[in-house]
Amino acid sequence: MAKYLLLLAALMCASVANADNSKAHAPTVVGADGFKEPLSKLKFNPGLDQREFERSSLTALNVYDPLESWNRRVYHFNYRFDQWVFLPVVDGYRYVTPSFLRTGVSNFFNNLGDVPNLLNSLLQLKGHRSLETTGRLLLNTTIGVAGLWDPATAMGLPRQSEDFGQTLGFYGVPGGAYLVLPILGPSNLRDTSGLVVDYSAESQINFLNVSEVSSNHPEIWALRVVDKRYQTSFRYGQLNSPFEYEKVRYIYTESRKLQIAE
Amino acid sequence: MLRSLRCAALLGSLFLSASALAVDIDQASYGFPLTNPFEATIATTPPDLRPSLPSDDEINQSDYTLNMRPEREFSLPDNFWAVKKLTYRIAKQDRAAPLIFLISGTGARFDSSINEYLKKLYYQAGYHVVQLSSPTSFDFMSAASRFATPGITQEDAEDMYRVMQAVRAQNASLPVTDFYLSGYSLGALDAAFVSKLDETRRSFNFKKVLLLNPPVNLYTSITNLDKLVQTEVKGINNTTTFYELVLNKLTRYFQQKGYIDLNDALLYDFQNSKQHLTNEQMAMLIGTTFRFSAADIAFTSDLINRRGLIIPPKYPITEGTSLTPFLKRALQCDFDCYLTEQVIPMWRARSDGGSLLQLVDQVSLYALKDYLHTSPKIAVMHNADDVILGPGDLGFLRQTFGDRLTVYPLGGHCGNLNYRVNADAMLEFFRG
Repeated sequence: MAKYLLLLAALMCASVANADNSKAHAPTVVGADGFKEPLSKLKFNPGLDQREFERSSLTALNVYDPLESWNRRVYHFNYRFDQWVFLPVVDGYRYVTPSFLRTGVSNFFNNLGDVPNLLNSLLQLKGHRSLETTGRLLLNTTIGVAGLWDPATAMGLPRQSEDFGQTLGFYGVPGGAYLVLPILGPSNLRDTSGLVVDYSAESQINFLNVSEVSSNHPEIWALRVVDKRYQTSFRYGQLNSPFEYEKVRYIYTESRKLQIAE
Repeated sequence: MLRSLRCAALLGSLFLSASALAVDIDQASYGFPLTNPFEATIATTPPDLRPSLPSDDEINQSDYTLNMRPEREFSLPDNFWAVKKLTYRIAKQDRAAPLIFLISGTGARFDSSINEYLKKLYYQAGYHVVQLSSPTSFDFMSAASRFATPGITQEDAEDMYRVMQAVRAQNASLPVTDFYLSGYSLGALDAAFVSKLDETRRSFNFKKVLLLNPPVNLYTSITNLDKLVQTEVKGINNTTTFYELVLNKLTRYFQQKGYIDLNDALLYDFQNSKQHLTNEQMAMLIGTTFRFSAADIAFTSDLINRRGLIIPPKYPITEGTSLTPFLKRALQCDFDCYLTEQVIPMWRARSDGGSLLQLVDQVSLYALKDYLHTSPKIAVMHNADDVILGPGDLGFLRQTFGDRLTVYPLGGHCGNLNYRVNADAMLEFFRG
């Protein structure tokens, strides 16, 4: 009897010792029909009963969202607005303008957007990034003819967006309640106040005189909004899930954290 | 003498049939750079090895909706308003051309990235292209599925066939020369059943059908996928969940890179950086996306059929109602749970009982073995390291399809579809 126990113990020890090896570098065994059995390259937990997926996902669903009912209604409003107004307008825009003109429009507004990008890089004391964005502004405004072209990106100075929400986050301000803004989409308290600050800074600076002119010519505003939608690839329904609201909320929250950390 | 001749003929034909071997692509000459099946599945082909494709602006395409199940307008809750009609996408040539139907994989909508890629590929080669959602997709289940319990492939194929007929009717003036059919992953299995259905219903007379990475035994496939979230992942502990682990890696990757740049090469580049994921982590990631599909399917099916497993049948839902508690419940249900709790009971009730084995036989490629064996118009492309296959599945494909099967040595699950070599082979199949 003792012998059996010893044998059993030895076997168990051996299996524990084996279980510790990663299988990534094990040689691929090809079956008689040529099948490589990819799952044999993985180390599974022995009982196949870990609940890591459930744990991660349930934790991820904890986003502070006290206004959820309101947010969901706005979310559905945005969805409809997008389908019935926004996207048809963007399609029309795409139909009537040649591709180079649309790129020019996008570049022009992106160049205006580099002003808050620069301000916020400075506020976060990111020296390198501020220099690069200054370089972009100088190049694109002069050689790029008021920003219609974007020679800076071609020269290795990619656009790096920074907004006041990110600046606040950089100094440790938490996101606060999740908010879905009408038409603008997912946001939170911090980023919404950031938007207001960026907007007023832009109209104060009045770069290239655009802010002043567009107060008399709302069509510039309209173009800017259409261009913004044109540049945004997100489509409602794209995540194809009855739980799209939750997924968008999680992705927004995490991507903002990522932008702030970077 | 005559008898020996007959014998010889028999022997000859036996040898001939045995010599109709699958086309095995040699790994050295294939040139696909990703030897890791999980990496290939996630990152797919590096951008410079993909075929050159037209941009969206150059494609004459639009989305249409079909009202397949008018009663759902009233029986579905308010916040399902967007999926009460089925949307599909059609890209039209400006002349008479052959039309190809593309069916998406598990839980994917008509505009999934692989479907978009295939559309561009075939559109460029001069086909009209129709992109369809998978019968397991949320929108298809609510707008076009009679039982809203996908998994019984035969029934799914019938739903799909009706959708295809409706698409044809809605575009009656489009000059079409021939009909073709293709699908990837679960969509390939659906395509095989749709093709079988077409042999008797004859609405399309598909000239050729191409199955890309189909599951052979559906039960093996879902078991494999369910198992992927059971890998032992290093770095997970009481304070760090799996998502946090991946996000932290991503953050560090972007910090080292200096800026955020989302493009086609991102995943490939990421895997070549210091922060790359291990096999177990990648498997977990793949398993996670499938678990979310399983949750969507389980929830939608339960809601539409009012089974009361996840959501109480009379629970009032408006646009403002939080669905998070139900997501939490649905997340606990993997494919196996969906199968045992929802598919099998319904199937038993409708077909006077039957065992799991019988169900698996009916819904997998096994059910079509004779048809597939004798139909020269159907071909398969598969990978030797696909995670949805089990031992013996490739053997079944070899026996069934003979030289109409192409086995690529690498690519994981659908990771090499956008490799130039595969793209050429796909176009060549339909052209020839």
